Amino acid sequence: MSSSDAEEALCQIRDQVARLQHRYATPERLKALLDQTVGFDRALWQAAVEQGQPAIAVPEHAGGMGMGWPGLAALMEEVGKAVVSLPLIATPVVAEALLASDDEAPAARYLAPLVSGELIACVAFAEPGQTSPLQRPELACSGDTLNGSKAAAAFAAVADLALVHADADGASQLMLVPLDQPGVTRRTQPGLDNARAHAALQFRDAKAYPLLRGDAAIGKIMARVALATAFEQIGGASACLACARGYALERKAFGQPIGRFQAIKHKLVDMYWRIEIARGCALDALDALEGGNPLWPALAAAARLAAIEAYDFAARENIQTHGAMGVTWEAMPHHYYRRARCLALELGSTQAWREYLLAEAGFDAAAA
Amino acid sequence: MSSASALLEPRTAVPAEDALERYRLDARAWLAEHAPRFSGAVRRGLPLERDVALGRAWQALKAAHGYGAITLPKRYGGGGGTELQKIVFTEEELRYDLPVAYFSISLSNPVPIFLRHAPETFRQRLGPPAIRGEHIWCQLFSEPAAGSDLAALRLRAERQGDGWVLNGQKLWTSWAQIAQWGVIVTRTDPDVPKHAGLTYFFLDMRSPGISVRPIRRLVGHPDLNEVYFDNVYVPDEQRLGEVGGGFRVAIETLMIERYGITDETASSPALEALVELARRARLNGRPALADGEVRAAIARAYVERQGLRSIQKRAMEAIAAGREPGPEGAIRKLLLGRMRQQLGALALDLMGADGIRLDPQGESSRDFAHAWLDPSVRIAGGTDEVLLNTLAERVLGLPQDHRPDKGVPFRQLES
Repeated sequence: MSSSDAEEALCQIRDQVARLQHRYATPERLKALLDQTVGFDRALWQAAVEQGQPAIAVPEHAGGMGMGWPGLAALMEEVGKAVVSLPLIATPVVAEALLASDDEAPAARYLAPLVSGELIACVAFAEPGQTSPLQRPELACSGDTLNGSKAAAAFAAVADLALVHADADGASQLMLVPLDQPGVTRRTQPGLDNARAHAALQFRDAKAYPLLRGDAAIGKIMARVALATAFEQIGGASACLACARGYALERKAFGQPIGRFQAIKHKLVDMYWRIEIARGCALDALDALEGGNPLWPALAAAARLAAIEAYDFAARENIQTHGAMGVTWEAMPHHYYRRARCLALELGSTQAWREYLLAEAGFDAAAA
Repeated sequence: MSSASALLEPRTAVPAEDALERYRLDARAWLAEHAPRFSGAVRRGLPLERDVALGRAWQALKAAHGYGAITLPKRYGGGGGTELQKIVFTEEELRYDLPVAYFSISLSNPVPIFLRHAPETFRQRLGPPAIRGEHIWCQLFSEPAAGSDLAALRLRAERQGDGWVLNGQKLWTSWAQIAQWGVIVTRTDPDVPKHAGLTYFFLDMRSPGISVRPIRRLVGHPDLNEVYFDNVYVPDEQRLGEVGGGFRVAIETLMIERYGITDETASSPALEALVELARRARLNGRPALADGEVRAAIARAYVERQGLRSIQKRAMEAIAAGREPGPEGAIRKLLLGRMRQQLGALALDLMGADGIRLDPQGESSRDFAHAWLDPSVRIAGGTDEVLLNTLAERVLGLPQDHRPDKGVPFRQLES
């Protein structure tokens, strides 16, 4: 397939997803999700499954559509724009780990239902009391048994499987845990963005499948999640810019659209360049991943840092551009504001990923 | 979507990419052979005249090998090559500290616009010496009351016989003191709105009535000048474009380089140099590189550089494919200028009180103090603020600023 065919396939993804969002991502539905402790739009998820969205990035030999991370990137950018919340990143990441694992049993059991969307997966790396999921976990793993806990993870409240990392005698071990078992307790609490269907997980002699081992292998799994998430963040930030621009053109003060004031114009350009830097980083990281460039995890970390900054900034300044409208429940800006912060926190904060980037880029203090 | 798996196939290089890569390797080898004799230690401490002479010799050597003005036509001594070849050569050439600054404006804007619009006899006479570096051309645009707002310029040109007589002042003209020729925008009709009354010429800088006074900058760069015009005669055959069409030609001049290649630090030391400095500097008994604030600044700089590299790479791909590069390339100067100043200040912080020292022989590309001291990247070629306005209006489609001078005859604005 030529690159223009590939581009067309990505356009198709974007169009399909955008059409779906148009039906489901209505202000009423999105606000209803925020108003419950666990907000999850089952009807939207079913529609996404019918479109085959969980299969997009999974290789063809594993039953997927084989569009890889470029396909996932296009998908997540649209998801981010519509500020909907769908567990679409965990499935290809779990598939990646299943396919890389020596043990074929979990792949035989879970790959097909994950790809078909029958099962939902989540990633749960963050731990209570830790700012960085990139350091050695405290969740203890002995053989196939887990004891300990994970902090609130997106979609953990509704997922069938969780991908976690655990400490196995001093080494990091990636584990796939079926959540519907007596040894697993989910705790849900109201949060900043209830549409993320967060839950904290408690494991007491929970049974799980060991997949990959070692900090480097697990770091790469997290970098894949980070990269896909960066596109969701870029989509969200772009939507904030579009939203702020629309309001700045329509809202008048002192006899002119507020978009004529330099304070507003410059604010919007400050959003724009942050988004373009993030997009640049993310596209480069994607190229590096596809091209087998060993620097790709560092580039993915750069993309995450840039995307956190772009989305936080755009969401914050979109509210500011809207003035008092921006702080109402009815207006949309607070959805992005909540989502921007949650996406920044779920996978580990700016500070955590900065350390990962500097280490991967060879700027580690330890090397001093 | 079913055939989408082909996305995962490795990309096969198309022949055009092979050819460009070969061009790069040839250029690299050529530079490695010749550039050392014209760069680095050879230039340290040279007075301006001798550095300019070295630059002319370098330019002549480049021209003899087709690198002198890569995109300009061969019949005038140019290389007859593509924009991408020029970009590739410039990227390679930037690895050396060569005396090319004297020609960068000359060959990027005034000479190309001259070769587009001047009568053929002039082109044949003046094109080759400009490309060989014997002549340097300057660009006489800005004035005391016309910087970002170029169309507000006042320098008058009045008809006299077969030509025009120029009176007034230009300001911030780079290398006017060593230029043989120049292009100039003048006001020929003050009774129409400001954009409509301008006319564009090229002129001999040795014409009677021109005086050039260098401007001392806060750093030692001897590039800027003010240029006074006292009854300077310019023949009408040296007009470029229509009478009253000068603003359009001026904009065309500025737009000639769709993608001007600059180094990625705006002539300041590389990020890696800051990291080294932070490794050596001590803070709270540890290397400063362990400090959170320092790490945050380094990470931010890394991320911005990475984003800009990617934007540049995609712009090159667009040009190679015959497409227009995206508008995001315009953020480059904005970010580089600020970053140079911020990292410069941080580097000086890491030196503590030693940061106060300023090496008289220092240069911004090797010395953080010099990089910090000169913030002109944020001003030249459009201030940060004007760039933000331009991006807001052209890219985001926000309304233009209030412009009380719109449609008003220029004469009424002068008072």
